[in-house]
Amino acid sequence: MLARAWQWLTTKCQTCSRIRLGLGVALVALLVAGTLMAGGAAGLAWTNTEGFCIGCHEMRDNVYAEFKDTIHDKNRSGVRAVCSDCHVPREPLPMLQRKVRATFELWGHLVGAIDTKEKFEKHRYELAKRVWTRMKLTDSHECRNCHHAAAMDPDKQSEKAKARHAKGRAEGKTCIDCHFGIAHKEPDGPGPQELKLQ
Amino acid sequence: MRSLRVLSAGAILVLGLAGTRALAQDVGAAEALMKKSGCLKCHSVSAKKEGPPFKETAAKYKGKPDAEAALVKHLTTNPKIKVDGKEELHDALKTKSEADVKNVVQYILTR
Repeated sequence: MLARAWQWLTTKCQTCSRIRLGLGVALVALLVAGTLMAGGAAGLAWTNTEGFCIGCHEMRDNVYAEFKDTIHDKNRSGVRAVCSDCHVPREPLPMLQRKVRATFELWGHLVGAIDTKEKFEKHRYELAKRVWTRMKLTDSHECRNCHHAAAMDPDKQSEKAKARHAKGRAEGKTCIDCHFGIAHKEPDGPGPQELKLQ
Repeated sequence: MRSLRVLSAGAILVLGLAGTRALAQDVGAAEALMKKSGCLKCHSVSAKKEGPPFKETAAKYKGKPDAEAALVKHLTTNPKIKVDGKEELHDALKTKSEADVKNVVQYILTR
């Protein structure tokens, strides 16, 4: 059917050169858009890899070095969480928003805001606070990429864990309120429970 | 006499370096044992959790001569504690080494 229509356009319809041109342009535009979208998606996926995240020494020598051998890096089941699992939303739009915000963090890299151990330690609390705030505002959205409240079996938790989780739910707490400083060192200062959200 | 002085200075330097190294290793060992024992589920160094932060404990026992003994007892004998008005047993450190327990106690008291 399509082949016939194309044949008619190219042979019989001598006055249809404009239509042919339009179709050609549309086809090229479609190809360019498709290539850009596929390239963009591949690029986004690349920025979510562990290799990309530790490409700069600020991350590799500080937060990544601390992350090594923690429960999210090495455990009995061998299931790992990489940087993006905890710090980047998986849904397309929130992921794009996070990526756009992250581009501003490149400025810090360019001006060397945390390019030494001392500078990093000086900013550790402020950086942790930023992550905690975001997680509190999103009900620890990234934790829930893997940990689903509905799938947690209280019978398989210790009595203390069961009681703490029930209390946390009743008080409207979120994962990060208690589970902080588990993948990176705890900064010196008030924790997530003491943060005042605006 | 001069060589004796040089030797003494050298010995002090070596002992001093060894001491610094031992202290650094102890902090790591204390943190590892606390992690293994689940301490950090309820306590943190300075932030609020179910249990008091280590800094608060250090301040509470500051200058008290029985501080170490009291904390060693607390961390080895599963004493009864109250969390939100309910009694529960405090977990003990997962070690049989007295030195390891004291290392954790010193870590807490020096926060």
